[in-house]
Amino acid sequence: MSATDVVGILVTTFILGSIYGLVAIGMTLIYGALRILDMSQGSMVMIGSFVGWGVLVVAGWNPLVAILLAFAATFLLGTFTQLVSVQPLMKRRHEIDFEMITFITTFAVAIVFTNLALEILGPQQRNVTFVIAGGINVYNGVNLPYQSLAMALVSIVLMAGLGVFLARTRWGMAIRAVAQDLDAARLMGVPVGKLYPLTMGLASALAGIAGVFLGGLYFASPQAGDQPLLIALIVVIFGGLGSLPGTVYAAYAIGFIQATAEVVVGTTWALPILYAVILLVLIVRPQGLMGKPSEARL
Amino acid sequence: MIARGLFPSMTRARWAGVAALIVLVAAFPLVYDNQYILTVIITGLVLLVLNISWNFVLGVAGVWNFGQLAIYALGGYGAGILMLHTPLPPWLAVLGGGVIAAVISILLAFPTLRLYGIYTSLLTFAFAEIVQYVILNDGSGLTGGSYGFPTVPGLYSSLSPDASTRAYYWTVLGVVVVSTAGLAAVGHSHLGIAVRAVRDAPAYTAARGVSPLRYRVIAFAISGFLAGIAGALYISFNQSISPSAMGLTPMSIDVTMLVIGGLGTVFGPLIGTALLTIVQTALVDHPGIELTILGTFLLIVVVFVPGGLVGLITRTRNRVAAWAAEGEGTGEETAGAAEAPAPVPRGDPR
Repeated sequence: MSATDVVGILVTTFILGSIYGLVAIGMTLIYGALRILDMSQGSMVMIGSFVGWGVLVVAGWNPLVAILLAFAATFLLGTFTQLVSVQPLMKRRHEIDFEMITFITTFAVAIVFTNLALEILGPQQRNVTFVIAGGINVYNGVNLPYQSLAMALVSIVLMAGLGVFLARTRWGMAIRAVAQDLDAARLMGVPVGKLYPLTMGLASALAGIAGVFLGGLYFASPQAGDQPLLIALIVVIFGGLGSLPGTVYAAYAIGFIQATAEVVVGTTWALPILYAVILLVLIVRPQGLMGKPSEARL
Repeated sequence: MIARGLFPSMTRARWAGVAALIVLVAAFPLVYDNQYILTVIITGLVLLVLNISWNFVLGVAGVWNFGQLAIYALGGYGAGILMLHTPLPPWLAVLGGGVIAAVISILLAFPTLRLYGIYTSLLTFAFAEIVQYVILNDGSGLTGGSYGFPTVPGLYSSLSPDASTRAYYWTVLGVVVVSTAGLAAVGHSHLGIAVRAVRDAPAYTAARGVSPLRYRVIAFAISGFLAGIAGALYISFNQSISPSAMGLTPMSIDVTMLVIGGLGTVFGPLIGTALLTIVQTALVDHPGIELTILGTFLLIVVVFVPGGLVGLITRTRNRVAAWAAEGEGTGEETAGAAEAPAPVPRGDPR
């Protein structure tokens, strides 16, 4: 492996890790606060990619508009998802296997979104062209396009913003309180009924923005959310379900493993290798890099 | 009587009903000889065998195993390899597919023991994805990779097409009947009770001297064997199998069938599979709409109809019985109330 390969791997790690982190951090936020592994996050990525296509290609507007619109659309859809697939179960959550049942209901919502998109927009893959041209020649022909750099930087800013939101604001503290102890939080006057939809909307909105970016890197299609969902699942397990810092480290680690595998053994084997890694993690250390058995999440 | 011991809930009238139903279904291809409809039914019945096997591990044993389709496909691939590359007779190859799947399923049972709930499903799902990708990228020619398995002769290559369709119909129907009855009998045996006890109270069951490892391995072995047989029947009937047989779409359809029918019940897989096969056949030209409806069904049933259709039927029957008992005499109210299902507490327990 030459030095060029190594630099190429690091550049890919930086871009993919940042965007994967954005999808996965939403999943881990939902799991940490609500104990739900939200399988509809992949469809939020898909919807974000179509918003990006609609704004950038069909309407020909600014990428910033695409990001804002994707945020708004997926925030609303995430809230909607919570209201139909989780809220009706909240009262019965002690009598049922809440984690598994919500796993299935959010999966059902994902099936509906994906297939509605398939029915309305058709199965074809659509290119999402960004307007930012050019790039930096990092090393000996390894190119870092400005648009990828911008995507990675926006993703990092958003992840940092989420961290500040959780650490400093009233709503963020309320989310952390719910993650630590739902009943104590409720006794302290945290409006849990509003907080749950808000958390899921926020996480979905991050996935939606990631969808705009992934649409730009690959394309928009009804299946555009499948692979990001699978990779986000790998990232959250590797980082430890519910741990935000763990998720960020894991996102870059998984991005690195994928980039290396693509260079060394080829693109087709990248995903099986990631799954093999995760199989090992689950067998050897089920709580992941930084996950805690059950308490003190987020 | 042995039958009484194995199937305590079966009265003589119910035996007669079940026997009449089996005879009616078995006589169908003699009366209505439409190749398309028969093919749809056979495909549905093969899926039913898979769903019966999945229901055992998912519903009865309570292990959230999402690798069942990979085990099913491996059974199919195993049977196909045995048919093409060994001199074994086809029916032995089908059994061999079941055995291969059972062995792989047992190997999968061990790592799941250390995990619970959501982690089990992620582990088994990762296993299924790896199997799928390995077969997709297989360049050795053994599995055919993404093109699908090379054509196999199947079970009834010497018969005419019509006769062979009928033969498959009866074969798969026989497997469905035997496996439904077999697993229903297992449900009432010591084995079934132990498997369900491990599901409901693992720590307590282990403390009473019932080994969770042993019963989980047995549950995975039974369920894996049956899934492998289903896969082997699939490859025999279709003369090929491809990695798409274990994709995300078939998986979501099978889960929906199980949940709508009623997870963990004997007749749930049957009702769910029959219902969704009809829906699928009716909407075969609109896959997008079909899956949208399916997802909506799944959501509604999980949220509002716990226990699926079988649960709904049981509750309604109990309610009617309670109501009838109430109307019979003046002093019977308490007896009727005892038969009614316990009211589900709706409010938050706190």
